[in-house]
Amino acid sequence: MAKSGERDRCVTGIDGLDNILGGGIPRSNIVLVAGACGTGKTTLAFEFLVRGSLMGESGLLISTVESQDKLVSNIPHFIFFNDKMLVKGQVAIMELEHLLESANLSPSKMDEAAVKKLVSAIGKTVAASKVKRLVIDSIDTILGEIKDEALNALLLSDLSIILYKNECTALLVTSEETCKTIEGRVADGIIMMGNHERRGDLLRTMQVIKMKATSHSRSKYVIDLTPAGVLVTPILKGGS
Amino acid sequence: MSEELHARVAEKLEEVGPSVALALEIKIDNYFDVVRGLIDDFASKKGLITVYVTASVPASTLNGALQALEVNTNGLMFVDCVSHSLMGSIQRTDNTVFVESPTMLENIVLKIEYFSRIAEGRKMLVVIDSINSFAMSNDNKILSEFMVVLMTSLKAKEAYPVVLTIPDQLKPEAKEMLTMVCDLIVPLS
Repeated sequence: MAKSGERDRCVTGIDGLDNILGGGIPRSNIVLVAGACGTGKTTLAFEFLVRGSLMGESGLLISTVESQDKLVSNIPHFIFFNDKMLVKGQVAIMELEHLLESANLSPSKMDEAAVKKLVSAIGKTVAASKVKRLVIDSIDTILGEIKDEALNALLLSDLSIILYKNECTALLVTSEETCKTIEGRVADGIIMMGNHERRGDLLRTMQVIKMKATSHSRSKYVIDLTPAGVLVTPILKGGS
Repeated sequence: MSEELHARVAEKLEEVGPSVALALEIKIDNYFDVVRGLIDDFASKKGLITVYVTASVPASTLNGALQALEVNTNGLMFVDCVSHSLMGSIQRTDNTVFVESPTMLENIVLKIEYFSRIAEGRKMLVVIDSINSFAMSNDNKILSEFMVVLMTSLKAKEAYPVVLTIPDQLKPEAKEMLTMVCDLIVPLS
């Protein structure tokens, strides 16, 4: 329950992240989950959907790179995940190709009209299935096809409007570089996933750089991707 | 004498109760008596799961030795911080998770958290074996920080945190750190 004057929260269900955010992501925020390969972006985003499903919130993952089977097989088999969630559509996975086909769009012709049509197609899917949690993995594929900074910003701002209307919270998986461009400024939040090297050891890390409508920790945390979900602990400084 | 020792270990844990960070000063000779006391006489009888963090001996070796000694290993989970660095073949089992090096201290905290999650509410005995091994691999500042984070987290879970130490072989700064981090240090000679 949100305190008076505060935005309602979308409790991610990932305990460590909810603690960092002071109770979850402000509902309807668009959040970039950014970082290099192998840092746990897809796993975090998928857990966000599965946890949502367990709380009765429908989730949609738009995969722009991998097929459903490959994507699911690459994620740690969460002990709280059940394949029936996919069958029943509580966690739906849609390949971008199908979405583009259904909207009569071609990835090679992404002009302003096509961007608006794509956002509208996402909006219709979200509204029809009462999707409360959306993941696009990765948004870079779409932004790369558009190849225009202004249109990329338009895509995100239009998506933001549509998702806000539908009270849908989104995680957009992206590379570190994207955060530094206009997309990083348009997004409501940025969760940076990374690696921390210490004496030859490589630790996976997570850091909330930005999150509108909430105060949050900006410290770096170490994470582990386990069948019990993404686990989080503060990074040790050891006087360094 | 050895029967007395493992019974004494269990009695001590029973006496201090959960959420008390306990350091047990042991000798190499009585190592298995102490471990038997922790696992058989205490954790098994109380229905606790034991999370055994080993930075001294690979989990497979330790598990084999405990089975040979007919210690009840049901409910025994290992966080193995040794096997990876030995570069040998790793025996993967359901009750063991691996941390690449005893210097990846945050990952040890997270592996214990993982076992806590899958224990579904069962209380835990968490054994750190040993502070001597961790002190060899880690700087005292980061080790102190790790111990504070770990002990605080385990106390909040009402777990039984036990740190094994061989006092004769411990660096003075590590000994001092142990005194600060642990609520009670019990010599078992």
